[in-house]
Amino acid sequence: MSPSQLLILVPLLPLLAALVTVIAGRRLGSRAHLPAIFGIAAAAIVAVSLVITTARSSGGGENPRPVDMVTTLWEWATVADAYEPEAGSPAAVPGTAIGADAHAARPLSIAVALRLDPLTATMLVIITGVGLLVAVYSIGYMHDDPGYPRFFALVAMFVFSMSMLVAASNFLLVYVFWEAVGACSYLLIGFWFCKPEAARAAKKAFLVNRVGDFGLAIGVFLLWLTYGTLDFHDTLSPDGTILPGILGQTRLADVSGYVGGLVGTAICLLLLLAACGKSAQLPLHVWLPDAMEGPTPASALIHAATMVTAGIYLIARCAPLYMACPGALVMVSIIGTTTALVAALIGTVQNDLKRVLAYSTISQLGYMFASLGTGTLLGFTAAIFHLLTHAFFKALLFLGAGSVMHSMGGVIDMRRFGGLRKLMPITAATFLVGSLALAGIAPFAGFFSKDEILASLHSKGWPDAHHAATGEHHALLPTPGLTGQTIHDVGYRGVSAQSDHALSSSAATGLDALNQPFVWQLLFWMALITAGLTAFYTFRAVFMTFTGPLRVPEEAGHHAHESPPVMTLPLLILAVPATLAGLALFSTESLSHFLAATPSFTAPSVLETATPAVFHWDLAIQGTLAAALGIVLAAVGHLGRRSDGPQMERWLGPFRPFLEHRMFIDQLYVGLIVKPLEAIAFLAAMFDRAFIDGIVRGVAWLPVATGAVVRRLQSGLVQRYALAGVIGVLAIIVILAWRL
Amino acid sequence: MLPTLLAAAALPLLQNGLFVGAILFSLGMVGILTRRNLIVMFLSAELMLQGISVSLVAWSRYHGDFGGQVLVIFVLSVAACEAAVALVFVLQAFTRTGRLDAAAWQSLREASLPRSVDHEIPAFDGAMPSFPRLTQAGHSPATDEAAASQRDHV
Repeated sequence: MSPSQLLILVPLLPLLAALVTVIAGRRLGSRAHLPAIFGIAAAAIVAVSLVITTARSSGGGENPRPVDMVTTLWEWATVADAYEPEAGSPAAVPGTAIGADAHAARPLSIAVALRLDPLTATMLVIITGVGLLVAVYSIGYMHDDPGYPRFFALVAMFVFSMSMLVAASNFLLVYVFWEAVGACSYLLIGFWFCKPEAARAAKKAFLVNRVGDFGLAIGVFLLWLTYGTLDFHDTLSPDGTILPGILGQTRLADVSGYVGGLVGTAICLLLLLAACGKSAQLPLHVWLPDAMEGPTPASALIHAATMVTAGIYLIARCAPLYMACPGALVMVSIIGTTTALVAALIGTVQNDLKRVLAYSTISQLGYMFASLGTGTLLGFTAAIFHLLTHAFFKALLFLGAGSVMHSMGGVIDMRRFGGLRKLMPITAATFLVGSLALAGIAPFAGFFSKDEILASLHSKGWPDAHHAATGEHHALLPTPGLTGQTIHDVGYRGVSAQSDHALSSSAATGLDALNQPFVWQLLFWMALITAGLTAFYTFRAVFMTFTGPLRVPEEAGHHAHESPPVMTLPLLILAVPATLAGLALFSTESLSHFLAATPSFTAPSVLETATPAVFHWDLAIQGTLAAALGIVLAAVGHLGRRSDGPQMERWLGPFRPFLEHRMFIDQLYVGLIVKPLEAIAFLAAMFDRAFIDGIVRGVAWLPVATGAVVRRLQSGLVQRYALAGVIGVLAIIVILAWRL
Repeated sequence: MLPTLLAAAALPLLQNGLFVGAILFSLGMVGILTRRNLIVMFLSAELMLQGISVSLVAWSRYHGDFGGQVLVIFVLSVAACEAAVALVFVLQAFTRTGRLDAAAWQSLREASLPRSVDHEIPAFDGAMPSFPRLTQAGHSPATDEAAASQRDHV
């Protein structure tokens, strides 16, 4: 089978598994996990083989060829002559490749097309790999739950939606599966829908995500208006002309293929809004901590490892669009870093183990955004690198927390248990591995990816330290072939263009003005502080849960023992990449070379930012010092006997309630949005009941009132009826006489 | 020959015919509206029919067209059939209630309306006049009150 046919299998097998589970789930009973496990496992094997195929066809090494294999399954919708590009509009470029009728009307064709490129292949491996381990783990975690088949159907459905989301080669298809993963997330958060908190959390997640989805919808509309297509790939029309896709080779090769200015910035900011919703970034992060009401495996799969990375994927995929709008890129970084810091601060005082991990997820996603926003090849690959390692160690941590929760009889408050390392050694050891990876301690996975992120931020803040030749930084516009030769340029082409012929739009100029070294320096320091805080709250959780005297809540009952092998096995398996993935991928640079063959990253604007991979000792030392400081502080506050309660928090003084109430962001939203909306809804309801219902009731009352008068004529006396007839006939005669 | 002779006398004849027809029709209508005895109402309806028939004949003669008279024959035969049917209804109505009063059949009126009743007989106040008492001359037969007020056979 060709790679593109194999690609179809990756979403197809989980979809079939989901359908089988839906149809035959009740009959399968306690074996209802089998279709999902086998479907996702087969998809994982196919995904790994796809990575190998993609790596082979990109050539590997220093100068990878762009890999972009597209399979069109069928045309979903076609409207002929839907778009007529104006002369000189970005839809009419790029240049010569399009042929004579560059200004001819084009069809709107929504093709169900799947693409295979390194970014997609990487995401597919993460999705199916973590999905498989989580599904295996769920066999133990969800056993004798009444919704056992439903859970596995939803997990398989989620894996299908997510793999379609990363494999889709069309913005509308991306939107469809963006919604589909949101729906799966809603169903899984509200899996125990009889529990009011879970139902509320599901609703909240769905509604907050709608804000982001709104951004995506408007962004897609704007993309259509600007580029005249929604396809990522180039399409060949029947008469032989090439219609350049938004992220196709034709447009990528063209230097001026992407729109900057007001429209470009608007598109990028709308896509950023969408990413913020799905990836729980600052204005829209409130849903993720509440989403922990769902079953822990769902939290591990959806709300830590895969779905929340959809925003990262979207921005990385749209990298060339962002490169044309430096202001939007800076916003990505600012939002990411602020989120990372805020979430880490809130995470330091949470007493709920899963909540700590939830805030840590938000914070780590913020790191990825910060890295994406640097707009360098290093930044993009570092974000995906961190996404990969984070998926492993965060899934490990969540599954470990689930194992704790399982044996503690559903208690998750860290103040109520302690010293569990004696009770559940495997969980404790693997949780420690995950924590070390999350904190960024040297050989573990998180260290390397975090180091790359810090390096990408550092290179923006102190460009001179990384690159001597800043003076000539817009002299060269390299062709894709020049990747290997280091281009000493970390500035944006957009910025240099701006200095030449000042951009007309004031909004873009306002945002672009943020692209200053001191802003980046500030962001770097914020990221470094976050690294320290991350280590602190992670080890606070470790110490509170696993050290000190053994304490077990009474709810635990007979469950208080190590989890069954079906749950600890995924933990052990995940501990391996959480330990080794970083070192292996960093030392060989295989991931960054592999990802560099993604078409989006071969745009000249991205390629010209390529820097040789260097291990930055100074940054590594700074990062490790920050993490070590955090761990020491956590040990001072929570190690051993003091593991039972809020020791450190006493020092926070007035900040403690501020942080414990999650910076009052939820309350702020309630005050600013929910309450006014409720007031408007109340007024609308009053208007509806008083006025609109009044009209309807009035219409209904009219015949009643008329009837009350007229019914007196129905006396039952024949003579009166006859009289009425006679009067009627006379009236007709009179009228006829009148008319004549 | 005949048509012209007839035409000379035609107009007064028509007028007379129409006049008689109108009188018959009006009498019938007033009868229908005022009388409550089912049979009399039926007779009044027949009277209206005959009024129409007379005017039809008058017009037919005036126009020299026998179509009108043919129609009258039709009306008469239909009226005969109708009389048979209508009288069966009257008979059935009577056997149900024992009365020929149309006002006895007002149960199809609006439920909330009161039953319409005839004028109350004014209450008699004052001393009963004394009547001469006659010597009893045998047993008086037992009288059925209902039978006394209405004839139960027609």
